[in-house]
Amino acid sequence: MALRKTDGSKLLMTVVCLVSACSSVPLSDLLDRASQGSDKLHALSTTLSQDLNSDFPPIGRLIMPRPAMCHTSSLQTPSDKEQALQVSESDLLSLARSLLQAWSDPLLVLSASANTLQHPAQSSISNKIQELQQHSKSLGDGLDVLSGKMGPAAQTISSLPFSGANDIGQDRISQLINFNFLLSCFRRDSHKIDSFLKVLRCRASQTEMC
Amino acid sequence: MMKNVMEVLFLLMLLFTVHAKEKSYNPPEKPALTRCRSPEKETFTCWWEPGSDGGLPTTYALYYRKENSETVYECPDYHTAGENSCFFNKNDTSIWVNYNISVVAANALGRAFSDPVDIDVVYIVKPNPPEKLKVAVMEDKGWPFLRVSWEPPHKADTRSGWITLIYELRVRLEEEDDWEMHLAGQQKMFNIFSLRSGGKYLVEVRCKPDHGFWSEWSSTSYINVPDYFPREKSMWILVAAFSAFIFLILTWLLHMNTHRLKHCILPPVPGPKIKGFDKQLLKNGKSDEFFSALVVPNFPEASPSKYEDMLVVEFFEVKEQELMLEESNDLLDGGLKYESSRSDSDSGRGSCDSHTLLLDKCREAKEERQTNRDGSLIEKQIRQKDRKEEAISPDISSGRVKTWPSLYSPLPQYGSNPLDKQSSLEMAKQHSLSISSFLTQPGTKDALGLSYMDFCLSNKQNHVHPQTQVQTRSNVNISNIGHKHAPAGLHSPTTQYVEVQRVNKEDMVLLQPVLSRCGLIEDCPHLPKGEDYSKVKGVDYDNRLLLQREGTGEDMCSGMDQETNGERGNCYTTSTVSIMQKPTACIYTVMPIQEGMALTLNGYVDTANMGNLPSC
Repeated sequence: MALRKTDGSKLLMTVVCLVSACSSVPLSDLLDRASQGSDKLHALSTTLSQDLNSDFPPIGRLIMPRPAMCHTSSLQTPSDKEQALQVSESDLLSLARSLLQAWSDPLLVLSASANTLQHPAQSSISNKIQELQQHSKSLGDGLDVLSGKMGPAAQTISSLPFSGANDIGQDRISQLINFNFLLSCFRRDSHKIDSFLKVLRCRASQTEMC
Repeated sequence: MMKNVMEVLFLLMLLFTVHAKEKSYNPPEKPALTRCRSPEKETFTCWWEPGSDGGLPTTYALYYRKENSETVYECPDYHTAGENSCFFNKNDTSIWVNYNISVVAANALGRAFSDPVDIDVVYIVKPNPPEKLKVAVMEDKGWPFLRVSWEPPHKADTRSGWITLIYELRVRLEEEDDWEMHLAGQQKMFNIFSLRSGGKYLVEVRCKPDHGFWSEWSSTSYINVPDYFPREKSMWILVAAFSAFIFLILTWLLHMNTHRLKHCILPPVPGPKIKGFDKQLLKNGKSDEFFSALVVPNFPEASPSKYEDMLVVEFFEVKEQELMLEESNDLLDGGLKYESSRSDSDSGRGSCDSHTLLLDKCREAKEERQTNRDGSLIEKQIRQKDRKEEAISPDISSGRVKTWPSLYSPLPQYGSNPLDKQSSLEMAKQHSLSISSFLTQPGTKDALGLSYMDFCLSNKQNHVHPQTQVQTRSNVNISNIGHKHAPAGLHSPTTQYVEVQRVNKEDMVLLQPVLSRCGLIEDCPHLPKGEDYSKVKGVDYDNRLLLQREGTGEDMCSGMDQETNGERGNCYTTSTVSIMQKPTACIYTVMPIQEGMALTLNGYVDTANMGNLPSC
């Protein structure tokens, strides 16, 4: 899927370049492609969380940091449907891109620490983190293309620095807890991205799908 | 008045405590939140399971706290979703926000807190089933199919893209149990082409958000599909093709096994099993000779004084064509051929040669015997013999005689010494085999143009090793030769008639001239009384039996052992009696008799020697 996404985005770029001379690629197709990518991204993060929770110390759930501690929590996102439907397309795209951008560094940290994670499903988790990274990268490229089509407001990306340490912990419990926490933040953010893109897709779509 | 109130209260309390003492009241048990669900990502409901109420009226309260604030709120709606539930409407629902929810059970004696649950509304979406399911039968080039269409649940907002649903439907015939599943993706219409037959079909559909739970199945929709399927015709075509194929295979198998089947269904007509029966004579048309050939000289039954060394020799037959057949290099093939040709038509064979026939006869004779063991022995021998024939063949350089030495009839017991019997049996057996080996010699092969050679050896022995059998080429050849040429009808003036007196211990057949019965046959010359050809020197290449004249009785030439061309012993015959090439009218049955046993007990052999026939 990552390969497909990479090829897809490359193809997208080529097609866009070629077609922009003649006619524009329908936005709906681009958005359709992008929402498929975001769907895949979120699905991956969900399975990752399930793998991790298969053998998670109960104490960890108690002392897990609250989701408000996610480094992306400062970004204002709609909290219900009405709010979400009132946001403009460019803003929605900008939000999506910002969120995605905010995770490029933390994913590296996650990937690095997945190699030394003390967990029975460590290898599976490590592989999935790698996939996550690739997907994230290709989706980012696709969204960059999209943003070029949707106006200047779409181009703005809010910066959400990742203040978390490069090292997620020394002992097993803290390792697992921090890993789980980061993953939960990512899971939520990937769901947001997916939702925004799907709303965008329906807005641009002329088919009966929406 | 206060007093009254106090009394009433006291009474009430008493009642209460009494009551309480009777049924022990407890604080409520801890309730548990079972699940929370959101049908459209805009509202959600949580259900809990109450524990024991402790016997007292218990109230339940749900409290929640949102992620970013410390404010604890109570459930806004306990009723909309039914018993033990809490419904959060749109205003109270925030997405991408963690709710920390817990339920508290309270009664007069205490409170119980459930374990808190953290939920995010976007992860608990389970939509309602799709609605307005419609099924119609359509036709595509004579082939019917079902067109199914439906609507998303009315609460789910798919139009704005807020919620993305994928659908799945299932269909089955009314009488079936298994559903056929079809994933329809995001479309709201689907064609089912996989109809196998007509009848009543049931269709149901359900949906699932992109990251959520499957809904329940919608209400069933029924549809009647008319029964116009030409498929049955094609099935008959298939059946016909398949049976034709099977038929072809059967025919081919039949063709391959015609040979075997022919033998099975139409067994070959067995030839006559009369001793002395010669096809050639019959073909020649000389009935006189033919009938005279059937004459078998009687053996003097009473004459042998010593029975111990007597062997009863039975017939075995050599067939020319079989010789040709068996000249194969491959031993096994030969053995196989041997086996197979054994099952060929046995026309023209001697009685003993027909292993089916003789076995019966042998069995009859066996019954007269005292022990059954011998019979089984013989059967064993028969079988062993069969096998050993194949083993013998490598020793025979050219061709192979098809011998049927397995046809051993049981020997009647005459109270003889069993050991002697056995040894002589062995000898006899060896003799018989040597016959076969002799007969396979090239020189003799051509001479074996006659129909058969009747030489049966009966014995009771156990195992004869092939090697020993092969090696012993003894003088039993005599009898073969004698018989071979007998039916030809020619006679030589020098022919003398001898009969076997006995076989002594040195493996020699003692012959004595037939004096008494010679007169019965026309061409039977009279032997001078003084001459006594009691010893067979051997058989030369002309298939002539070489007899030695010697004194009566005991001077035996020891030449009966090895070479097929006759071992030259101490004695020499002054004249050779050639019996083979000039067949006489008499048939010699050279049969070493064991124990002076009358031939009566030996199958066919005996009948030939019965007094009915004229003998030499």
